Amino acid sequence: MKKFALSLCVIGALITSCSSDDDNSGGADNTVIAPATYQFERNGMTSVSYSGQTTRILMAEELIDALKDTSFNEAQLDAMFNHQEGDMDFTDASLNASDKSIRSKTAASFDFFNSNTTDANAIKSDFESWIAEQVADVYPNWANTATPGNSGQLTENGGSVRYVNAKGLELNQAVNKGLIGALMGDQLMNNYISKDLLAQFEAANDSETLVTDKNYTDMEHDWDEAFGYLYGTDDALAPQLNQDSFLNKYLQRVEDDPDFTGIAQDIYNAFKLGRAAIVAKNYDVRNEQAEIIREKVSEVIAIRAVYYLQSGKLTLGTDNASAFHDLSEGFGFIYSLQFTRKPNTDEPYFTKAEVDAFITQLMAGNGFWDSTSTMLDDMSDDIAGRFNFTVEEAAPSN
Amino acid sequence: MKKMIKKVVFLMCFVGLVIACSSSDDSNGGSNNDNFDRSGLLSNYADNIIVPAITNFQLKVSELSIARDNFLNTTNQSNLDLLSDAWLDAYKAWQFVGMYNIGAAETFTSNLNGFRVYYNVYPVSTSLIENAAAGNSYSLDADAYFAAQGFPALDFLIHGIADGDSTPLDKFTSNSNSQGFIDFLNAVNTQITTRTQLVLNDWQNNFRDEFVNNTSSSAIGSISKIVNDYINYYERALRANKIGVPAGNFSAGQTFPDKVEAYYKNDVSRELALLSLEAVQRFFNGQSFNGGTTSGESLASYLDYLDNSDLKNDINAQFNASRQQIQSLNTSFSQQVSNDNTKMTMAYDALQAAVVLLKVDMASVFDIQIDFIDNDGD
Repeated sequence: MKKFALSLCVIGALITSCSSDDDNSGGADNTVIAPATYQFERNGMTSVSYSGQTTRILMAEELIDALKDTSFNEAQLDAMFNHQEGDMDFTDASLNASDKSIRSKTAASFDFFNSNTTDANAIKSDFESWIAEQVADVYPNWANTATPGNSGQLTENGGSVRYVNAKGLELNQAVNKGLIGALMGDQLMNNYISKDLLAQFEAANDSETLVTDKNYTDMEHDWDEAFGYLYGTDDALAPQLNQDSFLNKYLQRVEDDPDFTGIAQDIYNAFKLGRAAIVAKNYDVRNEQAEIIREKVSEVIAIRAVYYLQSGKLTLGTDNASAFHDLSEGFGFIYSLQFTRKPNTDEPYFTKAEVDAFITQLMAGNGFWDSTSTMLDDMSDDIAGRFNFTVEEAAPSN
Repeated sequence: MKKMIKKVVFLMCFVGLVIACSSSDDSNGGSNNDNFDRSGLLSNYADNIIVPAITNFQLKVSELSIARDNFLNTTNQSNLDLLSDAWLDAYKAWQFVGMYNIGAAETFTSNLNGFRVYYNVYPVSTSLIENAAAGNSYSLDADAYFAAQGFPALDFLIHGIADGDSTPLDKFTSNSNSQGFIDFLNAVNTQITTRTQLVLNDWQNNFRDEFVNNTSSSAIGSISKIVNDYINYYERALRANKIGVPAGNFSAGQTFPDKVEAYYKNDVSRELALLSLEAVQRFFNGQSFNGGTTSGESLASYLDYLDNSDLKNDINAQFNASRQQIQSLNTSFSQQVSNDNTKMTMAYDALQAAVVLLKVDMASVFDIQIDFIDNDGD
């Protein structure tokens, strides 16, 4: 194998003249044409693969369902969060057989957490503490009416029943919406499209060296894995959206707001073109698409954070069950802001410290029971102020 | 779950193309054709750092043998304490040697951890030692016994308590397998002594010149090999084994107070880690083993030569930050992990930040392909 590669190398050197357009390390010479859909093939077979991402999305679906089922104990829920291959943690046998877990990819990106396992551990612990509190404090009061300082249930004017902790927070929502940032968002924006991560695979991609027994190069596969965290349960060739309870669903929600129509196509196009750029070995074009993806996916998270703060404000005091439900979703999206990525930087739009401050503010005293319109507006302004949208655009349209 | 992928050839090929064909867009590369005094760098490393460190280690190992003889001649606690002192001195000297998996050392094993597997695999398997003492046959050259020899095995023999005993000394006196423990102590001691002598002899007789003369910039050149050994040591032996493993960085957060270096002595894990980091930083800056801050050509001066002084400074700054973090830890990492593991992970993070600088940035400036890459293929 090595001898063969060496001879390729020699041949390559012999037939390569020293004009600049032989440098296939990037630059504008490799024209990239995006295909109509996210369809890429080699030798007549697809070269696209992201089954690991689909698996994690489905694991997370089972986890958030189980968080609303009082028959589960903490050990069972922890095991769903931190699955070990072969353990019977899920109803879906293929998930049980998998060696993937949610926890191992929570706050685990190359760019943000490779040298920051201290924060990563704290974030994983947040999820585990939400799970623990749900079992220890909310499940026992499932049938009781929640009051300030006491967990229990609240019924919306429309009839839906919400189960909240002592501060009015639905912990299952904290987990659900928190994972959108900590798992899907972080892996998508800060790991698999990271130019620093992908740099180590450039040589193999340039020589089209495939991963052993696979039909893709490492770099192609990494890009697909980013794609999979958004489209892993969707149709890759014609995304329907709203096919999961995570990023895919909320991209649909944002797309449906006339102020942001087109964002779904923008993201899909960037994934498509970036993947085509990898095939064409044009890493400048690839990196440009990565920045577009970061900007747009970050926006989805931030828009939904502001949306739920504003939505919660509308019913605060008149229908607290509804308001707390919105604020619980908002809590998770705000938590997810620390995993967003400002384009062309190594920074999130909001640091962990800033997010922690928001969370502290929301949970001060009796939490949502004490929240005020002013506080929710101020927080909305703070968030929208760092993005190219206004609070009004993000807020519910009625 | 992770697989190791070697891509040496292709990257070298790719780098060659870039260098040949575009000098303008790759200001950091191009060192293949530089006029840096590679032979000066290698001779500084060989003559002022590596050989003196191994010579010192061999001396400490021979003193360890003497202390062992003394203890077996008169088996009592005070002679066991003297053996412990000699063990610690040799263990400290080892910290300046463990990265040099080159020459005879490289021929010992193809294990990714290099010749370190005969000196410092921990946690030690006490059951292997107990079984050996009870009469089971064993071979310290076999892979299965990597975890039952070297300094960790001595640590258990000197400071640990065997099944059914009440003191460490009992192994060699009242234990029904006492002769087995004595034999095993001798076997471990012989293994260390023999291999160390082989390594030193090789450097003194042949390998020094071979190393210094192999100025090739290719993957088999001395610089590429020693840099790979160096980064491998930093990443695995220092960052992972000394800090990351006990702190739970490789086990989904589950911490392991018993997986620290020198667990049975227990109060020297910080000291050993700091010496290891000192060895790493002195090597980087080319500071002689015996001579304070005296330095010659080194990775650091090579970076200067290639107009990458900022990177050199960043690396030193990160080493210093790591030292600060480690110094803030308990002398016993077992205690630190149990009491406040966050400080352990902060030390790990500081060390990890330098991995990126060394393995990605520095390796790229030197056009050195790292021969071990992790990719999570899911």
